[in-house]
Amino acid sequence: MTVPLSTTDSMPTVGTIRASGPSFRDGRGLDRVLVWLTLGFLVAFSALPLVYNVVMSFQSVDLFTIASFDRPFVGLDNYKAVLSQRATGTIVRNTAVFVGLSVALQLTIGFGLALYFQQRFPGSTWLRGLFLAGWIMPGLVVGGVWSWILAGDFGVMNWALQATGITSDKIFWLSDPSIALYSVIIANVWVGVPFNMILLSVGLAAIPDDVYEAAEMDGAGRIWRFLTITLPLMRAQLGAVISLGIIFTLQQFDLFAALTQGGPSNGSNVMQYWSWELSFQHYRIGQGAAVSVLMILVVICVAAIYVRSTRHEHAA
Amino acid sequence: MLRDERLTQFALLFVALAMVATYMFPVYWMYVTALKTGTEITAWPPSFWPANPDFAAVEVWQRMRMGTYLKNSAIIAVGVTAIVVVLGTGCGYALARVRSRWMDVALFSILMMQVLPSSLMITPIFVSFSQIGLLDYPRTSVILAQAAKVLPFYVVLTRATFAQVPRELEESALVEGNSRIGAFFSINVPLARNGILVAALLIFLQSLGEYVYSRSLIQSRALQPATVGLQSFMGPNTSDWQGVMTYAAIYVTPIILFFVFLQRQIVSGLTSGALK
Amino acid sequence: MRTIRVLLAGTAAIIASPAFAQEPVELDLWTIDDPGEYHYVMAEEYMAENPHVTINLRTVQFPDMVNDLARAISTGSAPDITYIDNPEIALFASRGLLLDLTPHIEASDIVNADDIFPGPLASVTYEGGIYGIPRGANTIALYYNADMFTDAGLDPDAPPRTWDELYEAATVLTNPARNIYGLAFSAVGSEEGTFQFLPWVQMAGGDYDNLTTDGAERALALWKTFIDERLASPDTLIRGQWDSTGTFNSGNAAMSISGPWEIPRMSAEADFDWRVALLPVPHEGAERASALGEGDNVILANSDQPEAAFAFLEFLYDNMDRVWNEFGYLPASAVDVTDPIFPEAYAVFEESMQYARNRGPSPDWPQISQAIQTAIQSALTGQASPAEALADAQETISDVVN
Repeated sequence: MTVPLSTTDSMPTVGTIRASGPSFRDGRGLDRVLVWLTLGFLVAFSALPLVYNVVMSFQSVDLFTIASFDRPFVGLDNYKAVLSQRATGTIVRNTAVFVGLSVALQLTIGFGLALYFQQRFPGSTWLRGLFLAGWIMPGLVVGGVWSWILAGDFGVMNWALQATGITSDKIFWLSDPSIALYSVIIANVWVGVPFNMILLSVGLAAIPDDVYEAAEMDGAGRIWRFLTITLPLMRAQLGAVISLGIIFTLQQFDLFAALTQGGPSNGSNVMQYWSWELSFQHYRIGQGAAVSVLMILVVICVAAIYVRSTRHEHAA
Repeated sequence: MLRDERLTQFALLFVALAMVATYMFPVYWMYVTALKTGTEITAWPPSFWPANPDFAAVEVWQRMRMGTYLKNSAIIAVGVTAIVVVLGTGCGYALARVRSRWMDVALFSILMMQVLPSSLMITPIFVSFSQIGLLDYPRTSVILAQAAKVLPFYVVLTRATFAQVPRELEESALVEGNSRIGAFFSINVPLARNGILVAALLIFLQSLGEYVYSRSLIQSRALQPATVGLQSFMGPNTSDWQGVMTYAAIYVTPIILFFVFLQRQIVSGLTSGALK
Repeated sequence: MRTIRVLLAGTAAIIASPAFAQEPVELDLWTIDDPGEYHYVMAEEYMAENPHVTINLRTVQFPDMVNDLARAISTGSAPDITYIDNPEIALFASRGLLLDLTPHIEASDIVNADDIFPGPLASVTYEGGIYGIPRGANTIALYYNADMFTDAGLDPDAPPRTWDELYEAATVLTNPARNIYGLAFSAVGSEEGTFQFLPWVQMAGGDYDNLTTDGAERALALWKTFIDERLASPDTLIRGQWDSTGTFNSGNAAMSISGPWEIPRMSAEADFDWRVALLPVPHEGAERASALGEGDNVILANSDQPEAAFAFLEFLYDNMDRVWNEFGYLPASAVDVTDPIFPEAYAVFEESMQYARNRGPSPDWPQISQAIQTAIQSALTGQASPAEALADAQETISDVVN
């Protein structure tokens, strides 16, 4: 196999490696083997289910014909059925709001916390470990706990807001159709913060101190240093965290099941929950698959943007 | 001057404690709920400490045979982490080092592989696993399926970490006569170890909490992980929330403690990275 | 006494099919129970009495049962016997996946279809065949806090009997200052919402395929009034019956509509005089209706042990008199329950059982149910008037049914 390795101008070092002799030619083979090992595993265990879903979205699928590919093809009927439902507009809008707000808030809070705990003070190291709690609690438990915190009648959130005088009336976080989605977002941000914070901490720690020291000597202020040093050096980490964050958020399911079941009246329904509802509650499996394919299209865009962004990251 | 610094440190600590306390409130609520009766859960005003704390940990542990469940969770999590680290580390490295259209396509494909939630992947996985007879090894099935689910995540994260390792260090090792594999193990892996460790840890914890595949692929109670056992508290019409929270407290507490203490090791690695 | 009957049951099975008499038999059984609950207890007893039979049990969570069965059937790994929730029977029966038990029942000395209450019998019947035997049943009724009735000047011995009385009682009992709602029920967007709402439609002369009746509109309008006037919590829209009744137990609701599964927790935690009454009807003298819950024991059509499987089903049916005291279900057939626990509540629920009606039957029940849930939720959130919401649902359902 002789796939030529094209180099990009932004990476002069690759050229250096290439010029350095025969041992590096084996090296290129090594890269390919390493990537193919993973890709092979993924093709075996992930690609098939993915293709299967795509195929089902063009077929008429009965609950009891899931084991064979031999099903009537119906063209775009499933897509038409899904897109013509009255709730579709709401659900697509909800999904966009859910993903956009969740990722933005998780990233901001996670990055803020990572920066804060980067400072040296007593306890800074082990206090940071506590934030992983959100990552290890089982979905059922997170859902249960937040459903009590946000309960309208007896929730501790309402209690706190009333006790501090912020509101006088109880807010029905989960059953008011105009608020329910945002309540799920609050809970989801709680779940996503640890992931952002820990990974960005790793990235921050990898930035050599002397870079900052040099800048400090040049008299650069904190904000300037953040913008000119931290952000560019964190590019790879930020790209990874944002794109994975979007994909994760598009898979958040437990919270919808536990908090609002997509309700009231689809007020907090999103595509991933809808797809599951269609496939596993209403047994309209073809339509559920069609919704999942629409989600795949979104992820294709995210993945493409991410891959493009990696071209510019080798600032270090 | 020294005093000022002390003061700043305490101010920093104070704010940090406030943030941790706010963040940990839902965890606290889990513990308190484990101690409450059903009626107290819905009482207004909410009680921050139950009137008659009733921690049924021992009873829940024995009745649910949690030992077996936790052992299975651990087996699955270790298996997944092992596969993912062995396969994914090299891949993340290669993707960070080599820039080409093919590598872009590879990275793109890997990201795409985790696009669907487990709940939508399970039907085809179940069908294909049953056709090749893999379902006779239920825990292995879950390990393979879950490894495929989280591998892209791990690759993307380690790729970012390897991308931060300065290229010059590897090159000088190569110039000194190391092979690429030698340089990988002696330069790249040690320098990226924090990222690898943290990514592996996140994978481990996520797999410890794996639910969707386990519940569908593992039929025998003796082989099921703790997350599946947790569902026993939810009946068709009833949900024993106190039981759920007690069970969860038993499951979560050791992990949190482990983290609080292990964090020292990880973080000392983090802050005293070989780059400094 | 019981032992004798069990022995008889065993004998009957043996007589019915001497061929397999003492051959070792293995039966796979899927259940929603955990060890210590109904199927596990019964299977153990049965195996003790019939040493040649081995029953392998597998617990499947209630919400996963249909999907897991579908997967197992598609891949040829389905069990011999399984539990199915009663509105799902038609889905499986319509595809020929369940064994028609009619000939077995006709030959049986133990199961007599005429003894099964009309609601539960309808739930296992599809196009003339009987595809399962109810393992028990449940239904809903009106729980009320007698102490609060007294405090509010209502007669605790005369709970509301009509919708108007229910509304008046809820109005009187609601006390925002003390965080008390008049009524707790569930309008959640899931099967539970349909389960709670359908009886209201049925007792006013409609049904799932006839929603655009005046009675149904009145029922939905009344539900909307409960929410709009804050006689019930707005969270009724996202809360299931168990969590809604939790607020009744803690004294934050004066009445609650739910089923007998609440009783163990209520008797332990509610520190007031709670009582149960039949669901109120649209007007004095109107026809009664109630919901029908719990599930059925069915035999898969592909089972290679239909005789042995049916013998076990007979054994289960024969123990119907134990389900209330030991497992908390109502008997689905006319049996004498000696010394029922919670006798007053039992009497009410047992009577209510006479009026319990099936959901469906339709092989497309999930879609019908979904349409009803959408109607409830869009009316209660004010997105549509009750009449519009029901008309929309009717349109969807007519498409599905035809």
